[in-house]
Formats: sequence, structure tokens, C-alpha cells
Amino acid sequence: MKTLNTILVRLLVGLITLCGVAVVIFIALRAMPASFEDIVLGPISTPEARATVAKRFGLDRTPTEQFVYWFGAVLQGDFGISLVTQSPVAKEIARRAPATIQLTLMATAVALLVGFPLGTLAGLSDSGRLVRGIGRVIGAVGASVPNFVIGSAFVYIFSVWSLGLKVGGYVPFFEDPVTNLRAITLPTITLAVFGIALILRTTRDSVQRVLTEGHITTAVAGGQTKWQIVRLHVLRNASIPIFTVTATYMGYLLGGAVIIEVLYSLPGIGLYTFNALENRDYAVVQAGVLLAAAVFVTINTLSDIVYVILDPRIAAARDKQ
Amino acid sequence: MRILKAFSAFYLNDRLTGLAGLALLVLILIGVFGSMLPLGDATAIGAGPRLGPPTWELPLGTDELGRSYLPRVVQGIRVTFLIASIAVMLTAALGALIGMISAYVRGWVDGLIMRLADVMFAFPALILGLLVAALIGPGDVSVVTVIIAATLPLFIRVVRAVTLSLVERGFVVAAEVAGASRMRVMIIHLLPNITGAVLVQLTYALSVGMLIESGLSFLGLGIQPPYASLGSLLRTGAVYLTIAPWMVFSSGVVLSLAIMSVNLVGDGLRDMLDPLRGRSLR
Amino acid sequence: MTPLLSIEDLAIEYVTRRGVVRALDEASLLLTEPSVIGIVGESGSGKSTMGLAIGRLLPSFANRLHGDLKLEGNSVFDANDESIRGLRRKRLGFVFQDPMTALDPTMKVGRQLVYAGGDSFGQNEALDLLARVGLPDQARVASSYPHQLSGGMAQRVVIALAIVRKPALLIADEPTASLDASLRDHILDLLVSLRTAMNTGVILLSHELRVVLRHCERVAVMYAGRVVEDGKISVVFANPGHPYTLALLAAAPGRERPGEMLQPIPGIPPVLSGRAEGCGFAPRCRFAGARCQVERPVARLVANRMVLCHHSERIIDDPQKKDHAR
Repeated sequence: MKTLNTILVRLLVGLITLCGVAVVIFIALRAMPASFEDIVLGPISTPEARATVAKRFGLDRTPTEQFVYWFGAVLQGDFGISLVTQSPVAKEIARRAPATIQLTLMATAVALLVGFPLGTLAGLSDSGRLVRGIGRVIGAVGASVPNFVIGSAFVYIFSVWSLGLKVGGYVPFFEDPVTNLRAITLPTITLAVFGIALILRTTRDSVQRVLTEGHITTAVAGGQTKWQIVRLHVLRNASIPIFTVTATYMGYLLGGAVIIEVLYSLPGIGLYTFNALENRDYAVVQAGVLLAAAVFVTINTLSDIVYVILDPRIAAARDKQ
Repeated sequence: MRILKAFSAFYLNDRLTGLAGLALLVLILIGVFGSMLPLGDATAIGAGPRLGPPTWELPLGTDELGRSYLPRVVQGIRVTFLIASIAVMLTAALGALIGMISAYVRGWVDGLIMRLADVMFAFPALILGLLVAALIGPGDVSVVTVIIAATLPLFIRVVRAVTLSLVERGFVVAAEVAGASRMRVMIIHLLPNITGAVLVQLTYALSVGMLIESGLSFLGLGIQPPYASLGSLLRTGAVYLTIAPWMVFSSGVVLSLAIMSVNLVGDGLRDMLDPLRGRSLR
Repeated sequence: MTPLLSIEDLAIEYVTRRGVVRALDEASLLLTEPSVIGIVGESGSGKSTMGLAIGRLLPSFANRLHGDLKLEGNSVFDANDESIRGLRRKRLGFVFQDPMTALDPTMKVGRQLVYAGGDSFGQNEALDLLARVGLPDQARVASSYPHQLSGGMAQRVVIALAIVRKPALLIADEPTASLDASLRDHILDLLVSLRTAMNTGVILLSHELRVVLRHCERVAVMYAGRVVEDGKISVVFANPGHPYTLALLAAAPGRERPGEMLQPIPGIPPVLSGRAEGCGFAPRCRFAGARCQVERPVARLVANRMVLCHHSERIIDDPQKKDHAR
């Protein structure tokens, strides 16, 4: 089946990219102003431990073999030891993952739930100038105002007038949902603004494009009502690019999480990695970057695959190449 | 003269784009010539009270060292645009070259370049900023590197796609049959035809570059003192947010306006090159 | 008896950024009963606009200036949204040039048919319909996506979609232009057969005289937004009454004798921005006189066909013409 072939190709490309990412991180690791043993073991270690590490990671062997050893360790979840806490990096990251994951997922959800309907309305040409105007404004402003500017504005507003939402004070969701949501709402909205603008613009362009396609004329000529056409034909065809753009948005979120967590003192992976940089805790920095890139590649590969499944023309088009 | 023509084409096409183009022009002019205007001295410590609110003599107030904020913002505009523009120009040149070669030569070279571009694309910009800062320390070189790494993959892909579609058209084959060398074909035939796409991507890359630079500077990983971009101004301003909000407000608004005007100009360019007609569903 | 289709002096213009283009300059057409009529004209003659106007499918920048279009007595332009949708659904069918873009690429063909068929039209009925338009292996076709079908098969599907509710009138705009020559006659035969099979009128829009000659009973020739000649094929093509028809026949390849030269028509069709003064064809017409420049021809019945020309009688009796009817 052609679709299956294309999917496998995409998976392969994803895996190759992951390997490429690992190579880049490895090179960066060796180039960092700290020795490899320090990174793996932390700065306080016995000569015997260092010798063991040297042997285990094959530091006396060729770079290629070192890479293999290091990569093997990474795949088993061993990212080294944190300089600051002397505990395994993987454990520290896992502790802080929930905040970042919640932030990312909530922001994506808000962006889709708000951006997609607004974008569809803005794209339908008989939506009236007001709707389209609002769409343009949101699209332009949301994509241009940096998230830390919005964040700073929020911090200022909500420090002066509380309105029930807090800056800081994060608590894991399952401990105390209310406090959790009060703390995470502002960061979510701050990050979601860009997402709403992005998805609104993409949806609008996509809807406009679909409206010019011939099968819409067929549907109108067949006497379907406006909303029937939107539901049956426009949305299905127009939502295909949304997957790609959501993947791009998640890439933005991975980076944006760093700034927003710093701004709002949200104890997530972003804040952790950023602080680690200030502390020269390179093991953590390397792990954070590797993780972010790996997640991004995975999301992109998945969205590519979903795209292939949804749009049967893609598989056919590749054959023609 | 041509700029005037282009501008009026903009304005007639779409008022919003025309306004944005005008705003952009004004901002660039301020950035270039701002230091010559009698707006105050950006380096004069103690010209006014520390963290003083806006007054007639000090239109945007003063910062934490008593310097008038207005000239600081003007300087910030210049630095922000300068850094982003340099980075984007480099990206455009590299991207156009690599993209054309990749599409024209095809084969394993194309495959390799695409995979390398994929790897470059895999790192979200700010995350990459952390890595680069760890390696070579924060600063303008760091920022430019990150911007290039973040925008190059898309540039390559776009140029490659456009070149591929051109290569299939007759005139390239005709030139080759007539005996033109590959280099000649690339420069004389392909290059002029990709300028449209490059121009549109350039404006988007510029806005992305400005976002990246300001983000990194806000974190302290970008422009370092004594230089100040709008992003780093926001960083120092954020410290005094609750007691002297005008700093964050003014630099934030200016930065947002700058990025917005670039985005709108980019949209306008794209509409000019590829207008889509809406269809009524009645 | 209300006529099936009545178009009276319809004038339509397109308002674009670059100015106003008058696509129909008082075009008229009357179909009293279901028949197969071919509308012949170059691009820019207004035939596509007229075809789309029948279903009020013109883009939003099109304006109807005056004139009326009635389908089975119902005014198309005065109808409200719901009635026009009803007309489109139940009384009209459209077949356009490119079958690939006319079908939804993300939906299986069978499903598209079932949706279009309405209540009490299910999978079985869809398979029957596919068989009726000449498709073999209906089950496989029904579960295919449009891009998995060949051009000819896809066009048959489009025809099936158009006739699913047994419309009174089918409009086909260059339905075979995207298809291989070998398929053309089959598709056209299928379209024409609908008149007897379902008592559906068929309007075939084409720029190819050959096609119209072979498959239609009646022909309407369009030029510069008007129907300049309208009558039975045997009458019009044997003995044209309008200089344009005459010129078209002389310029059409395929029917000349060996050694005979084709005569292209000098000049190009006009692009109107307002009501044409005089006859639209006058600048290119070898029979044109002073009257033709200033006085718009009115529709007249001359020798069993309707014609818009001041000099029809002279043209019909012109000894220089050759016999083109075969």
C-alpha cells in the first residue's frame, strides 16, 4: 500500500533526524567548557569513579565509539549527574516534567479551541467585514507581541488587581486543582495568544483556499446549504494543514516554556534548564536540549504521518515524483 | 522612485499594509538616524532621578541609572533591527544558495542537505539559544547564530521548492541544451525567479529573528550591556515592573509595533504575489 | 405550457479591480421542452457565464443588470436562498470541465453520491447509478477516492452526481476538454442519452463545432455576450444566417476538402465594458455596413432560425458559400 510506504519513509526520516540531533548534542557536549567525567559524575568524584567512567564511556577510544556509548546510556535514561544536586539528571527532570507538560497541553488546547472556529469564520467570505477585521487584528497582534511582553503585562495587572489569579504559587494538579489552575492560567493564556493567532491565520488561509477549489462549486451547484458545505467539505479539507501548524506551535511552546516559566516562576523543565545554564550545570543543559529536540522531532514525525493518512492525495503525489 | 511606486501599490492594494509599511519605514529611520536627533543622551547617567516617571523633559521617564529612557529606546530599536537584519541577510544568502544547489543538483547531495536542514530545524530557537550560550557564552554572535540556525531550514526548503518547479519548466532545459554551464544557469536563469519567494520569506524571517533576539535578550542570553536591544531593555525593565512600569510598557509597545509592522508588510507582499479570491457559498 | 428555460435579454457584468467587464450583453434563449442544445462560442463569448447563470452560480463580483432567467417558470434571480438551493438540488445538474477538481478529494465517491442523493438514496441506489453511467465494477469505484480513478471514470461519476435527483435540465460546460479524444464521444453520447432516458434537457457548452454537430439537435451560437444565431443544426450549419457562424464553419478544421485552405477570422473578440453600440461582430465582419456600427441588431426569425444580424437574408442567399452540412 502506498500509504504504508510513505508512513515508513516518514518514520525513517524521523529516526535519522533524531540520530542527527544526538550527534549534535554529543559534539556540543564534548565542546563544553567542562570535562566529560564532570558532567557524568558531577564535580566531586573519586579518581576511581572517574577511571570507571572513562572506561565505560570509552574515552580512550575513538569519538565514534564514545558516541555509541554515550548514546546507549542516553537511551537507557542516563543523562548524567546534576552538578547542583548530585542526583541523576533524569530524576530531576522527571520531577519537574508535570508542570511543563500541563502548561504545554493546556496552551495547545486553548489555541485550537479558540483559533480554529475563529479562523474558520474569518475565512468564510460572507462572514462580514467585522468578523474578518477582528480575525486580522488577532492574527496580526497575536503573532507579533512577544510572549514575555504579554506576560509582563499580565504580571503587572494581576499584581495590582488580583482577580483570583496568581503569579507563582504552583502546586501539582492532583494535589490541589484549584490552586494549580489559579497559578497556571496566566502562563497558559500568555503562551496561547501566539497559538491562537497562528491557528487562526492558518485556518483562515486554508478555508479560503478550499473555497476556491472546484468541488465546492459542485456542492453549491448541488444545492447544499452554506453550513452543510462547511461541515461536509470545507472543514475536512481545510483542517489538514492544522496538524502541521500545531506541530510547529508545539516547537514554539518548547522554547516559550522556558521564558514563561522563568517569568512566572513555574517549576518546570524550562526553568530548571535555564537555571542550570546560569549554574554551569552542563549535564542538565544537555539533557534539557536533547529532550526538547527529541520531543519536537517526534511530534513533527507524528504529524507528518497523520497528514499522510488524512490526505490521500499526498501518497499519490509522491508516486508521480 | 521605485520605492514610492511600491509603497503606493501597497497602499492602494490594502490600506493596512500601506500603514504597516509606513510604520516600518518610520521605525527604521528612527533606528538609523535616531542618535542624531535631539532626544537626549542614552548614556548620561543621572540625567534625571532614578526610575522617574515620564515628564515633559524626559518623555519616557528614566531608567534605574537615571538615564533618559527615550534615547535608550531609540538605541534599542536600532540594535534590534540591526542584529535581526544582519542575521536574516546571511540566512537569505546562504539559504538561497544552498536551496538552489540542492534542487538543481538533486541526487544524494539534495538528500544530505535536506537531512541536515531537518536536524537544524529540530531545535526550537530558544532551546538552541541555551545550548549556544552554554558553548560560546551569551552575546550578539550567539544571537545571530541562533537566528540563522532557526530560519535557515525554512529558507532552504522554500527556495528548493521554487527552484524545483522552475527546473521543470522549459527554459532551464533549453539553456542546458544550448550549452550553458550549471553555474550560469543558476545565476542568470534561476536566481531572478526566486526573488519573489525569497522576499516574502525574508520579511517573515526578520520578524522571527526579532522575536528570537528579544526573547534571548530578555533571558539575558542575548545582547549584553553596554549595548541594549529592546529585548534587553525589557529584561532590566521587568525587574522594576511594579514600581516603574513605563519602562516595560514603552519598550514593549515599541517592540510589538516593530514586529507587527514587519509581519503586516510580509503579509502584504505575500498577497501581492499570490492573491486568493474568496468564493461565496450562496 | 411553461417553457423549460427562458432567458430574456440577460445582461451580466463582472466588477473587478481592473474595471468592469460585460460578459452577457442581452442574451436570450428559449427552451420549451427537453432537448439537446449545443451552445457554441469562443472563450469570452459569454457561454460559461450563461451556463452558470442558470443556476445562479456566478461569483460575488458578478452583477445582473437587467433581463430575466426563468427555469420552469421560476425566476432564478428573484428567488430567495432556499428556493434557489431547491432548484439546484432537484431541477438542475451541472457538469464542468475538470472532473478531478469537481470531486471532494477527501471523501470516497460512493459517499459523495449518497449525500447528494438525499433521503431514501442509499448505497444500493448509488451502485445502480454508477452502473447507469457506464461504470464497470461499481463497488470498487464507490469505495475509491477521486484521485484513484481515471479522468474518464471521474467524469462519469460527476455526471452521476449531476443526475442523481433526475433534474429537468443538465448543463455541461466543456465536459470533455480534459479527457482523451477516444473518450470524448462516449461521454458525450452518455450525456445526450439522458434526454431520452430521463427526459432531461441537455445544454452542451463547447467551442468545438464538430462536437456540437455530432451530438446536438439544436445549436445556439454566441458572440460578444449575445446569442447571434439559434436554430436546428440541420438548418444553421447547412446554411448559416450570421456572418460569425459562417466564419466559424470556414475556420473549423476537419471538414475541408484536400487543397482547401482554412480561413481564420481576422481580429479578436471584443471585451465589452458596457452595452455594445451596434453589432458586436461588425469590426470583423465582411458583410458589415454603416448600419452595423450604430444599430444593435434585434432578434429576427429568418429562414427557420433566430438570428441577430441586419444582413441575414443576404448571407443565406450568398452564392459564395459552400455546403458545410454533412
